[in-house]
Amino acid sequence: MIFLVKAALGLGATMAVAGAYVFHEGVIRVDFDENRRGGSHVHFWVPATAVSASLRLAPRHCLEDAAMKARPFLPLLREISKELEKYPNGEFVEAQDLSGRVRVAMVNGKLEIDALRDDQVVHVRVPAETIRNVADRLEDAAPGI
Amino acid sequence: MNQSPRGLWGFVSATALVACSLLPTLAVAQSSSNPDQWIHIRVESREDKSETVRVNVPVDMAVKVLPAIKNKNLCDGKVHIDSGHIDDVDLHTMLDAVRTAKDGEYVTVESKDDNVRVAKSSGYLYIHVTEKKPSEKTAKATSDKDSAKNAALKKSKVEVKIPMKVVDALLSAGKDQLDVVAALRALSANGDMELVSVKDDDSTVRVWIDSKNVAN
Repeated sequence: MIFLVKAALGLGATMAVAGAYVFHEGVIRVDFDENRRGGSHVHFWVPATAVSASLRLAPRHCLEDAAMKARPFLPLLREISKELEKYPNGEFVEAQDLSGRVRVAMVNGKLEIDALRDDQVVHVRVPAETIRNVADRLEDAAPGI
Repeated sequence: MNQSPRGLWGFVSATALVACSLLPTLAVAQSSSNPDQWIHIRVESREDKSETVRVNVPVDMAVKVLPAIKNKNLCDGKVHIDSGHIDDVDLHTMLDAVRTAKDGEYVTVESKDDNVRVAKSSGYLYIHVTEKKPSEKTAKATSDKDSAKNAALKKSKVEVKIPMKVVDALLSAGKDQLDVVAALRALSANGDMELVSVKDDDSTVRVWIDSKNVAN
């Protein structure tokens, strides 16, 4: 009986620590809805740590290929990702007209991009830390930038 | 008071060390922009209030990000001007002449179509343009009535106010180049102010700088 309790406690503690680690960077959220009959509805939540981890586990040649393609934009991505973290709350762009609305903002350390139209709605939430991790990994894969 | 020469020497070297370690920080602080300043751009349609564009950019972010953009005309935070000429006007020489000139009103044009005023006063460069054009609806209706035409004028007003320090910084990159990053730093150091205001019958445009992260 005591053994079972100890095992359960150990498992519970491991789950709690693993959960805390998986979600410590936050969650990437993408919502896409087409407001018409038969329209697509895509909703997914991914722990941001999964992106960082998969970049570490991805084959080197794949990362190098991606880094070479993104090479001209990597310095810009690096600077933007660094700077975004300094402004955890702020609205950068808001444009609206009769047909829709676009908003780019930082809310609680997450980059929020919203694009709303009568027939389509897109919401993207990405932690700024994840953007920096991606920029760092791509830079590591493309030395000399 | 009874300090030994060794103790005094230690005190002096410690002070020198602290001073030397602080100097670069102070130098950086002087040349860097104010991290709390934001540039705001707001465009609003007058006819339909629901059409708006609001852009808010931290000056510090712009100063760091601009040098990372490598474009045909924008490189290292500097805008390249082809041969320094825009429509046969040497912009660099013109701005340099204004910079070194004394305060006063340089250009005043008053015509039936528009009024233009370029002046320099108390360290600021002012450009005011008022364009007068007949509105489309009334122009059709009163095309043959000169007296009625004046009453139906459509006014558009542009007001630009730039600190001369910003002009100095803009020209600091040398000929054929405008140093946008240096200008942004100078602008940030200048404090809160309205830079551009455009008002016409269709829309209003406002560009200003302050320490708020929202455009109110």
